[in-house]
Amino acid sequence: MGHTIAEKILGQHAHGKPANAGEIVVASVDFSMIHDARAGNALKMIEKLGAGKPGFTLPHVKRTALVLDHYSPPPNREAANTHVAMREFAEKHGTPLYDVGDGICHQVLPEGGHFTCGDLVVGTDTHSTTYGAFNVFGTGVEGTDVSAVMLTGKLWFRVPETIRIELKGTLQPGVWAKDVTLTMLGKLGAEGANYRALEYCGDGVAAMGIDDRMTLANHAAELGAKAALLEADEKTTAWLKAHGAAAPKPVKADADAQYAQHIVIDVANLTPQIARKHLIDDVVGVPEMAGQKIQVALIGTCTNGRLDDIRQAAAILKGKKLAKGVRMIVTPASRSIYLAAMREGLFEILTAAGASVEAAGCGTCVNITGHYIAGDKQVVISSANRNFKGRLGNPSSEIWIASAATVAASALTGCVTDARTVAGGDWRAVA
Amino acid sequence: MKIIKGSARVLGDEISTDIHCSTKYLPGKDTAYMAQHAFEQLAPDFAQSFKKGDVIVAGKNFGINSSREQAVHVMHQMGVAAIVAPSFGRQFFRNAINNGMPVIECDIAGIAGGDVIEIDLIAGRVVVAARHITHAVPPLPAAVQALLEAGGLIPFLQKYPDWNLRGQAS
Repeated sequence: MGHTIAEKILGQHAHGKPANAGEIVVASVDFSMIHDARAGNALKMIEKLGAGKPGFTLPHVKRTALVLDHYSPPPNREAANTHVAMREFAEKHGTPLYDVGDGICHQVLPEGGHFTCGDLVVGTDTHSTTYGAFNVFGTGVEGTDVSAVMLTGKLWFRVPETIRIELKGTLQPGVWAKDVTLTMLGKLGAEGANYRALEYCGDGVAAMGIDDRMTLANHAAELGAKAALLEADEKTTAWLKAHGAAAPKPVKADADAQYAQHIVIDVANLTPQIARKHLIDDVVGVPEMAGQKIQVALIGTCTNGRLDDIRQAAAILKGKKLAKGVRMIVTPASRSIYLAAMREGLFEILTAAGASVEAAGCGTCVNITGHYIAGDKQVVISSANRNFKGRLGNPSSEIWIASAATVAASALTGCVTDARTVAGGDWRAVA
Repeated sequence: MKIIKGSARVLGDEISTDIHCSTKYLPGKDTAYMAQHAFEQLAPDFAQSFKKGDVIVAGKNFGINSSREQAVHVMHQMGVAAIVAPSFGRQFFRNAINNGMPVIECDIAGIAGGDVIEIDLIAGRVVVAARHITHAVPPLPAAVQALLEAGGLIPFLQKYPDWNLRGQAS
């Protein structure tokens, strides 16, 4: 019997051969991450581990990155003090640290070359599934887990069953990976893949650039997936090499691997999708919602704050102005994306159109920085990943979730708009 | 740890422990505060009347969409002996085991608040004698039993820094 990518990566890291779904393994972890929203908890756990042990050390601590992204910049004294503690910890132990404005954990880890194909990576964030875009088993854990990894280099895992999702055909211009993940949420429901791993495959994946593939793996978190894995190809290995990662060890699924479910999506005929207020799995086609007014447009987060998202938004807003009464904020996912967007002149285009650009970080995703709070009855359209009531600080406002293309087109017209109907909405990088 | 016997306290389906049993959305509050107010929006007085040794019997996907392990610390403070539910949210299930809280995947049909429920973790059995309910459940894997017996991952590693999960894959 063959094996899935998840079974192979977890098994190789545990006992040198593929594991079976359902098995519990203790596996060597290649890299781990703690961000500032969970660092306080993790540092407490490390204190507990070392309690009463003179000369206590963390032998694997150098393969853990600390990322100051959620409270970026810190909105209060507690967050600022957590940042101080994280900087002191990194200095003391020689761990990599990404400071305020450097970017979101799921962007700076791959950009920093911290892992390669075939690796096993954990982070204190549910969107750690993002690393699967690079053929890495990435999964979200808590502070206790990362403390254990720093001490022992290992962690226990229940090996997940896998759902295989084949994307047939290639996306039309103006339709993005976000429209695929929203389609999946409409199909399986939020948390519909609880405990399971996803494997995305097919022509539709092969045609995607790395930015879009990261969206595909990232937004699997809302499906409840433990990991979301893609096979590696030349695009993957070239990207990793350019970012200084170790030599790739690509892992493919066997032809006779056992899957919990097979799903085929005809992406060639997919239309842009949108999740309506409060529920990430209340998904409809964008054309059905045409005319729905919006007042706030947000582009950013670990789901869609990458360079292609900003390029697409700039292509739509070049030489134009935001619709009357619309505010727009763009938050790049990392400092290097910020710099690239500046070099390409994208921020000049967006700023001239009426948008504001803010420092890289998690700010536009959740109200922990007080970064953007909408007024009562206001409608926010966002390229983020979650939209539950009150996530942006006001339960009387609404959050609708879509691709960066849909967000930019909607900011231009003031209503939910299919990017394919506006100039520049068909922009796509030539891969 | 091997046999747990307690009074059932019933909760519904799809409960987020981030929302109902952690201070994620209550800045400035601590675990002790939460132990007095957990789940009160779902069942008023739930935490106030909770007795040490009671067992939470919840509907499907308990702890769904919840990442905070603080929820388990709160439950320990309340005196929760175990949680029985048809299914759990992935991250919650992991956090429970890592923090020494027995979580049992089991059909809960017919179990009512106040019923005495007996859980045998080793044999894999959930019994409510007064209602003639006996469910066989898959026994917890030895690795998970080892973590629970130690009281969670941190105490386990203090004892076994080499991950000796007794007969499990090393």
